[in-house]
Amino acid sequence: MNSNGNRRPEAGDRNIALTAVLILFSCFRTPMSGLRVPFSVLLFSVLISSCAKSTLEDPHQIVIWHQMRPDERVVLDWALQKYMKENPGIKVTALYKETEELRSGFQIAAIGGAGPDIVYGPSDQVGPFQVMQIIMPLDTLFSKEYLSKFNPKALVYSHGHLYQIADKIGNHLMLIYNKAIIHNPPKTMDELIAIGKKFTHAPNNYGLVWNYTEPYFFIPFLTGYGGWVMDSLGNPTLDTPAMVKALKFMKALRDKYKIIPKSCDYETADALFKEGKAAMIINGPWSFGDYKKAGIDFGVTRIPFIKQTGLWPEPMVSPIGYSINASLPAWKIPEVVKLIRFLLSAEVELKFTKRFDTIPTRIEVYDDPAVQDNAIVKESEYQMEVGRQMPIVAELRAIWDAMRPSYQAVLGGTESPESAARDMQKSAIEKIKEMNE
Amino acid sequence: MALLRSFDSERLSPSTFAYILMIPAAIVMFGVVIYPFLYNVVLSFSNMSLRHFKDWHIIGFKQYERVFSGKIFYTVFFKTIIWTVVNVFFHVTIGVGLAMILNRKLFGKAAIRTLLILPWAIPQVIVALTWRSMFNYEYGAINLFIAQYLHMAPVEWLGKPLEAFSACIITNVWLGFPFMMTIALGGLQSIPQELYEAADIDGATGWQKFWTVTVPLLRPVMIPAITLGIIWTFNNVNIIWLVSNGGEPSDQTHILVSYVYKAAFNLYRYGYAAALSMVIFAILLAFSLFFLKRTKASEAAY
Amino acid sequence: MKKKRTIPQKIVAYVLYFLLLGFTIAVLYPIVNVFSISMRPSDRLLSTSLRIIPEGASFNAYKVLFTETPFLLWFLNSVIIAAVVMITGVALASTAGYAFSRFNFYGKKSAMVSLLVTQMFPPTMLLLPMYIMLLKLHLINSYLGIIVIYTSTALPFCVWQMKGYYDTIPFSLEEAARIDGSTRWGAFRKVVLPLAAPALVITALFSFMTAWAEYVVAAQVLQDTSLFTLPLGLKQFEASMSTQWGLYAAGSLIVSIPAVALFLFLSRWLISGLTLGGVKG
Repeated sequence: MNSNGNRRPEAGDRNIALTAVLILFSCFRTPMSGLRVPFSVLLFSVLISSCAKSTLEDPHQIVIWHQMRPDERVVLDWALQKYMKENPGIKVTALYKETEELRSGFQIAAIGGAGPDIVYGPSDQVGPFQVMQIIMPLDTLFSKEYLSKFNPKALVYSHGHLYQIADKIGNHLMLIYNKAIIHNPPKTMDELIAIGKKFTHAPNNYGLVWNYTEPYFFIPFLTGYGGWVMDSLGNPTLDTPAMVKALKFMKALRDKYKIIPKSCDYETADALFKEGKAAMIINGPWSFGDYKKAGIDFGVTRIPFIKQTGLWPEPMVSPIGYSINASLPAWKIPEVVKLIRFLLSAEVELKFTKRFDTIPTRIEVYDDPAVQDNAIVKESEYQMEVGRQMPIVAELRAIWDAMRPSYQAVLGGTESPESAARDMQKSAIEKIKEMNE
Repeated sequence: MALLRSFDSERLSPSTFAYILMIPAAIVMFGVVIYPFLYNVVLSFSNMSLRHFKDWHIIGFKQYERVFSGKIFYTVFFKTIIWTVVNVFFHVTIGVGLAMILNRKLFGKAAIRTLLILPWAIPQVIVALTWRSMFNYEYGAINLFIAQYLHMAPVEWLGKPLEAFSACIITNVWLGFPFMMTIALGGLQSIPQELYEAADIDGATGWQKFWTVTVPLLRPVMIPAITLGIIWTFNNVNIIWLVSNGGEPSDQTHILVSYVYKAAFNLYRYGYAAALSMVIFAILLAFSLFFLKRTKASEAAY
Repeated sequence: MKKKRTIPQKIVAYVLYFLLLGFTIAVLYPIVNVFSISMRPSDRLLSTSLRIIPEGASFNAYKVLFTETPFLLWFLNSVIIAAVVMITGVALASTAGYAFSRFNFYGKKSAMVSLLVTQMFPPTMLLLPMYIMLLKLHLINSYLGIIVIYTSTALPFCVWQMKGYYDTIPFSLEEAARIDGSTRWGAFRKVVLPLAAPALVITALFSFMTAWAEYVVAAQVLQDTSLFTLPLGLKQFEASMSTQWGLYAAGSLIVSIPAVALFLFLSRWLISGLTLGGVKG
């Protein structure tokens, strides 16, 4: 992935190691003659005791940990290659880290004062990172004038300071439908149920699928009934009539209207939609590329209106962007800021939008035909209009964790919606208390 | 090499010779283990957490109190014991059983032996996820098999606590028996054929031969594997995490270590997680001392 | 020793074959599934059909793996690390195990127990201090650090296992060698070690596998794609809700080949004729 020609000490490390292995093998003819080995090993250990410093201290290297999908990494790589060509002497290493791993890995590295220079990911990680003081405020590093070029939704503030600048906004759930099956997508939940019934038939064909084991995918229903996860002070608001109604509605989709599978996690939903066996799926922009590759001609629209409440289901909306490691030495900050400004340039943002139909953040880009004439981007923006900003607080994690068990118990039929709502609230309060101890 | 030749094992006392043989291993072990262990001891007495991530300080036994006052510790501990016992039992019985079959004269046994080693050789992540898909309610191979050949109702493997826990165990049994099989295969080589022949002359049945010849002579090799198998299974976080998708449904499939993982990295409760780890450590230490004493594993067989 | 096979013995043989067949199928089925995923178009982990050769199957994933990803480099890295760990493991465990088996010395029992003790702490919590330690020693992004950690992970089992096997070898053999004028070292090397071949094989296999498939520590310690081992490389095909399952499955199958090959190669000594069966008695 990082194929510039710089030979670095680590590469030499490997060659020495290889030679050592060969030497060792040569004095290791059979598994039984092995007693020359311990001393060769000692010798070998001395040989390769290299001194690799933390990359944060390396003036010639910038490390980014990111959560981009494989197809997005191609664009990131293109951008980084371009940057390195324009800035000889700087090597930028981009490392993919899965969501959980990025968090745990970054926490561990941060305790040691090391880790990547830049972390890239959805805004929800800003909450805990800010509390732990492992990312730095960006207010003074970027001028007001520069920041005014961005859609305000792209600037992620926490406790009054800017901690992340996004290159994509939205990242929200919406209704994706297979055009080969459905010509006119539903506008209301009643229509959705009617259409869903029409296309649910044995074996294995469903009107609607989605990963309903995960509470994140339940938020549009909760908001569609007027609920939300926390109040403005960060206290959980899970034990509400809205929660009970939303849970009942979800259960009804499966047990009463029977338009969704009996059990459905992300992989099941994904496989059904890719195989053309599901007419509609609730999923986010990250799936567009895969569905194109699978040859599905799909359309995108808002999750349908709920007449009974007079509300649109509001999915969570979260920016994705760049933050800087708090342990970064001051002398290196300008280098890192320069790279981030490049990655947030109109050119790079447009490239992403063109390939992946994501919503860019630079205002000047919005008039570009690539954005204006893109039906998926337009529909995605249409859904985002009713989206709700994901709270940038560490407590959100505890709320997910509190929701998941009872939510799954309702679906498993072992708990009633009413008691589930109560349990969620109780457990959320408890977990937040534990987290803040 | 010169160093080796100049080292005259004759002039040394037997125990000095033994120390010299041991020192390289000892240096590596203690160099790596001591510091991390002490670090965790300190953490377990601290309040390190989300709000005290860099400015943590010592708060005494509070985290231990939290561990023991929560009801969850006891239920998860109970599940961990079941998890460990069931897994190791099947690892050992299947492993030793297959090794004994493969130790006979049998056509094609070399090929079968190699095939049976596959679960050990293939990366765990992909097979764990494959097993997860085989447990799928509607499309999974296991439910289809149950419906087609056993004519029973499909099982909701991943949606119900007990079934999901069983699914994790089945996957882990599948992954773990080849290791025990390999150990047993090696162990069986140390048993002289003459002992079986002598038993034949005494008119012993196959079952008697198994208990009087095979078991005692397999013991010295199997006991370390079983002891460590128990410790590793107790501390195995991967399979539970992958097959039950992080404790689903409803956090009902956790064992102690997956709970530690969740506390530390998902809820940022480092102090608490370290205290719980110390408790796990103490449990395993107590168990091993008892088990080793009972099996006399640190003493010689002859 | 030629015995005629009686009828019950034949039945037993059939039953055993049947059992073996059952286990072989149970072992192979999930792996065949992995193969099936690797052949499936458009990266589906799951499929609603049970067909082994999926519709639109192709070897494309394998081609991409070798031509468009640094798979071979990761492969080489893994081989180097696993081989060094294997050799170190065999060397250290064969000597330490011998000391534990044959000599009585002060602190022997506690040393043996402390070896086990190192395995008891939940490994997830050791990651943080281990990382800090390696950071202070400037061993992040270096193979030495990870090799030492892997060796220390593999050693406790290997030492105990060697010790257990040495225990089954009678003292009389070394005594005979000593009377013939062999040194202590010579008796160990020329008499005991060859007899312990099956245990050496297990030690070698185990050390190799410890390093070969390890992910968690490597992910924290190796931070440069050009240094990646296979498990780290495979993980690069993953992404939250958008994993390249085809590549992942294909890579996993190839990863298991060297491990199986090593087993095949070493099984000569695991099930060799040159064992105690022939010497004892």
